[in-house]
Amino acid sequence: MQTLIKNGILYTMTEDKGIFQGDILVEGTKIKEVAEHISEDCLEDGDNLIEAEGYYVLPGLIDAHSHIGLFDFNVDPCVDDANEMTNPVTLSVDARFGTNPKAREFKVAYEHGITTMLLTPGSGNVFCGLPFALKTYGNNVFDMTIKSPCAVKIALGGNPKNTYGDMKRLPMTRMGIAKVLDDTFAKAKKYAEDKEQGKEVEYDPDMEALGMALRGEIPCKIHCTQYDMLTAIEIAKKYHVHFSLEHAWGATDYLDEIAESGCDVCYGPIATYRSPGERRKLDVEAVKMLDDRGVNVAMITDSPILSEESLYHHVGEAVREGLAQERAVRTVTINAAKVLGVEDRLGSLEEGKDADIIVMKGKLGLDTDAMVYYTMIEGKIVYQK
Amino acid sequence: MYVIKNGTIHTGTGEVLENYDILIEGEKIKKIEKNICEADAEIIDATGKQVFPGFIDPHSSIGATGIPTRYRDNAETTNVINPDLSVKYAIDPDEVNAQEFYKSGITSVGFSPDHSNVIGGQITVCKTAPDHMANRIVKEHAAMKGSVCSTVKDVYGASNQMPKTRMGIFHLLKEAIRKDDLLKKYQMPFVIAAETAGEIQCLMELLKDEDIQLTIVDGFEFGDAIEELKEKKVGIIFGNFSNLSQISKHEIDLSRLKELVENGNRIAFTNTCKGASEGREVFIWSAIEVYRAGIDAEDVVKMMTIQPAEMLGVADQIGSIEVGKDADITIYSDHPVKSYAAHVQFCMINGKVVLS
Repeated sequence: MQTLIKNGILYTMTEDKGIFQGDILVEGTKIKEVAEHISEDCLEDGDNLIEAEGYYVLPGLIDAHSHIGLFDFNVDPCVDDANEMTNPVTLSVDARFGTNPKAREFKVAYEHGITTMLLTPGSGNVFCGLPFALKTYGNNVFDMTIKSPCAVKIALGGNPKNTYGDMKRLPMTRMGIAKVLDDTFAKAKKYAEDKEQGKEVEYDPDMEALGMALRGEIPCKIHCTQYDMLTAIEIAKKYHVHFSLEHAWGATDYLDEIAESGCDVCYGPIATYRSPGERRKLDVEAVKMLDDRGVNVAMITDSPILSEESLYHHVGEAVREGLAQERAVRTVTINAAKVLGVEDRLGSLEEGKDADIIVMKGKLGLDTDAMVYYTMIEGKIVYQK
Repeated sequence: MYVIKNGTIHTGTGEVLENYDILIEGEKIKKIEKNICEADAEIIDATGKQVFPGFIDPHSSIGATGIPTRYRDNAETTNVINPDLSVKYAIDPDEVNAQEFYKSGITSVGFSPDHSNVIGGQITVCKTAPDHMANRIVKEHAAMKGSVCSTVKDVYGASNQMPKTRMGIFHLLKEAIRKDDLLKKYQMPFVIAAETAGEIQCLMELLKDEDIQLTIVDGFEFGDAIEELKEKKVGIIFGNFSNLSQISKHEIDLSRLKELVENGNRIAFTNTCKGASEGREVFIWSAIEVYRAGIDAEDVVKMMTIQPAEMLGVADQIGSIEVGKDADITIYSDHPVKSYAAHVQFCMINGKVVLS
């Protein structure tokens, strides 16, 4: 089956095509053609035509850091399947097995044009588990999954230290967290070397998973704020892993270190109160400053900590702080796709990519009343206003 | 003396004045006219800009919690009924300053006891500019804060004290009104936290014959008590819509808000939800959510300015750009309810420039 979307303003999110008025042809689950004019003659009986004149057409939005389905605040008492806080290193637990595909927030997500999310374990441990990426429409997490694992989730700061400090176990301090990090990476490195040299090693699922990061197959996704980001950068450099700084409040103090390290940044959520410690500096202006320095930045909601639909407000706040609207839209499309490692199939309107397409009235991140009129996931219209 | 020249002035009362000037003398607004000439005045050019009265968050915990101490300073959970407590003594100027409320155009805040007592104490209205506390206070005994939320049960029920149930909450409130003559003794507006339809309906029933100015806080399930709310013209201070973890249990149907607006009920926004506060950005996000639900932008502006001032009985001093009122004025590059690109370019509180 084909769908032709005509005459919309296309936010292609590609360097060469940028933004232009044109047409998109979808065949099956993929984008077949993106051009200024595609003739309706290609359509056959049963195909769809969407007239999008006056509307904006964007790739499906991506939230690169969410816990929807892992936390459930809709029930009393709340469900936390995101934090396996029984050991500071639970690095190979798999977030797919904690996710409720029926969480009502997935519907909220695709109705707001958010078609892909990275779902990650929480930050209660130093090595928290394995995040994955999924499409937001479906009934079965394993069918919805597009990449697993996407990263090794790591957390610094108050969360792990309070978890284990309360149990009087290492790590009770930031010093302790750095030691757990270093020891675990060193162990994984040795494990990998031993295996490579043909030595007999006992299978260790944690070391196998961290090995993927050491080999550069997946990045480390490191929860950190303020000066903790220097620890994150130092350890990541020492073991030559790709990584992203998650949340990254206070990044304006470390712009040079971040840019030099070559990491990605997932910034957000914003709108928390300011207080001493990890919340001392909330600097959404960092998004523009990092973007200017060529850092790949994604805006994140941390949903359901903040609502999924607050992704619009997050993009908007980056615009308020001076980021150009087109650049801000990138933070929840192509930039986020790169963070997930799925930029070959998502994040832009290009031939051959998944037909995850949204049609909006109003400019995302600029017009506060911008709304989704169609959400298409893999060629199927899953929402229509 | 300042003249803010040639701006689009959103007065806060629903009016929009194009290309008007505002003369500020001392702490007050002296004149609002076209083409004001004052040789001694410093000119602030607002051509092409949007001028608003300072926004008001009528119910905030942040600034009065005493972070990072173990016991929050606005939650005296040793007694369920505390009408004489004044939150003034809990306000930490540094905690207020750290929020930089004025960067979101918020120039006054109603600091409030949290949701954990049936009667938590009295709300104090303050300006957000870094200044001596004496200069900041707009009104110390502005309103009485109460709560019929489950938070009260959670606090007291855990140690087997009344109230352990909603019956207990309403019994204590009823007795405070009957025995202690709460409503007569404290002649001030009442601001009571109620989230669910059940809580709101019970509150309306209990207070249906009382002659008080009532505002409910959080109020997410207002739709299920809309006729009662209309009849008594009860105000609503909406909690943080974006804080899903707090509100996911509640049904929110903003499409019904138009009925209340047309009926003349006052609406306002707070960065606080369930007694816990988040950042200043939440205020504008909540306003945007209401605009997205189809409320006219200038009506939303009233909800950010004059209506919260009226809820707290301070509309004679703040909440609109009118002659004689405090010179709390924000100049935005664009309309903040309509455009995310809107940012604060200038802010004045009590006639003093705090951001330029």
